[in-house]
Amino acid sequence: MLHVENLTVEYPVSRSPALRQVNLDLQGQKMVLVGSNGSGKTTLFKALLGLVRAKTGHISLFGQDLSSVRGMTPVSTNLPEVYRLMSLPVSDLVEIHARLKGGSGAEVLGRLRALSLTEILPKRIFELSQGQQKMLGNLLAVSFDPRLVLLDEPFDNVDFERRRKLVDLLRALPAEILLSTHELELVSRFEGWRLAFLFEGQLFGPFQIEDLDRLYLSRGRLTQAVSVLETGLGAFSITFDHGELPIRRATSLIALMEALP
Amino acid sequence: MNVLRWYTKAMLTNRSIWSWGVGFMLFWLVIGAFVESQGENLSGSGVTTYTAAWYVVIVLFSMSMFAVAVANSYTYGSAALSYSFRFSKLSPRSFFGSVVGGAAVMGAALSCVMLGCTLVLFGIRFGARLAPTDVPALLAVSVAAGVFYMALATTLMLIVINYLGLKSSSFVAFVPLLFSYAFGLAQVYAQLPAWLLYVSPYNEIESLLYQAFVGQPPRLQIGGTSSEVLAWPYLAVGLVLWTLLLSGSAAWLLGRIKSRQVEEGRQI
Repeated sequence: MLHVENLTVEYPVSRSPALRQVNLDLQGQKMVLVGSNGSGKTTLFKALLGLVRAKTGHISLFGQDLSSVRGMTPVSTNLPEVYRLMSLPVSDLVEIHARLKGGSGAEVLGRLRALSLTEILPKRIFELSQGQQKMLGNLLAVSFDPRLVLLDEPFDNVDFERRRKLVDLLRALPAEILLSTHELELVSRFEGWRLAFLFEGQLFGPFQIEDLDRLYLSRGRLTQAVSVLETGLGAFSITFDHGELPIRRATSLIALMEALP
Repeated sequence: MNVLRWYTKAMLTNRSIWSWGVGFMLFWLVIGAFVESQGENLSGSGVTTYTAAWYVVIVLFSMSMFAVAVANSYTYGSAALSYSFRFSKLSPRSFFGSVVGGAAVMGAALSCVMLGCTLVLFGIRFGARLAPTDVPALLAVSVAAGVFYMALATTLMLIVINYLGLKSSSFVAFVPLLFSYAFGLAQVYAQLPAWLLYVSPYNEIESLLYQAFVGQPPRLQIGGTSSEVLAWPYLAVGLVLWTLLLSGSAAWLLGRIKSRQVEEGRQI
């Protein structure tokens, strides 16, 4: 159970906030968060895990304020930096994280085998390819009975076959999931999940994945808009069934905005 | 839940520790045994004193390279530690306990390797069978030294991580090394005041190791001729107090660790 209220994050050297007044509620659901590179997805995940400090706002996990969270093993993520506890071979890291999460390394080893990734076991993290690092983080995040999984761009640098297997795994996983991606064409694979957009640090939504075919983007503030995006490129309205361009057809939200006259 | 086994393994397989903390120190031992000794006319106890002086200084340098590796591990692991304390069974206390255990093993390992190398190299040079007088005491001091250096490196680096930002991390990681060179060599080449030797943890380690090696209390200058000798109980108490103080502060800082991006330290 994830609850975020008016979250704003600002980096010291940056003029504008990385996240602005973000509100988010996951009550047992799974959600895909679509945003282009630099929209604030990773910052949002780091803030939810306490890895960056929020300027304002409130985050609670399973009813507990983030600042007081200790030993909450059912929360997990695929952010690579959280798995660099020590410089050891992957086989040892898997064992350490299994123990720290109260699970068994055999679960991860089984998944590594199923994805033909056992070759990474004797290697250290810095010796892995970007895709291998991403898959290792993904598998550690979905193992050991998590109840809330935060997956930041889990398909980045991952080949087609492993993407397909990972999608199946995530759809079957009995946990709340917040998954971010910049690839809009991937979204339709997550039927039944919720959908939100992150643009310039602002969150828009939620919608249902099934609504994706009905969502349109138009320039300006329209009266029938279900959501208005205030961006550096101007204001854009998201509407149902009618509008200038269907969101479904775009590869990314920013490409769609740039395509609008 | 502790991670002692893995932390010790990570330390024992750390290439930086073995290449700088052992390999580079071997170079200095060769210099001490075969180059620096050229002008010396040594025999009997002179050989033992000369060898012991090199051994204790080299152990200080080797331990300080270990401290650099410990400090750097926090730079790279701050996010992992911050995350693990919140979202796993790892607590700051249990992690610190594992680090203390690993440091004790490393202290003993580095000291023993340096001792073996010293005895072989200086034995060849002087044609003598050299051996430390009190091996258990030497091991005990080495273990304490390992924990002291870990606690010092942890405290310094966590102050940087939690309050100052990583821009000064490279310099701070080398502070234990700089002090080791300064205090370690000062006691070999100069007669320092007794109070300083009792207060400085570097000289406490150096003096205690020297006494364990030669079996006699050290003078104000290692191998010097001053009439005043140092009392080992005061040296031992001083080292234990420093270690406890730094361990306490390190454990406290660890519980408040902030996640930092490594890139922060690389930017100009």
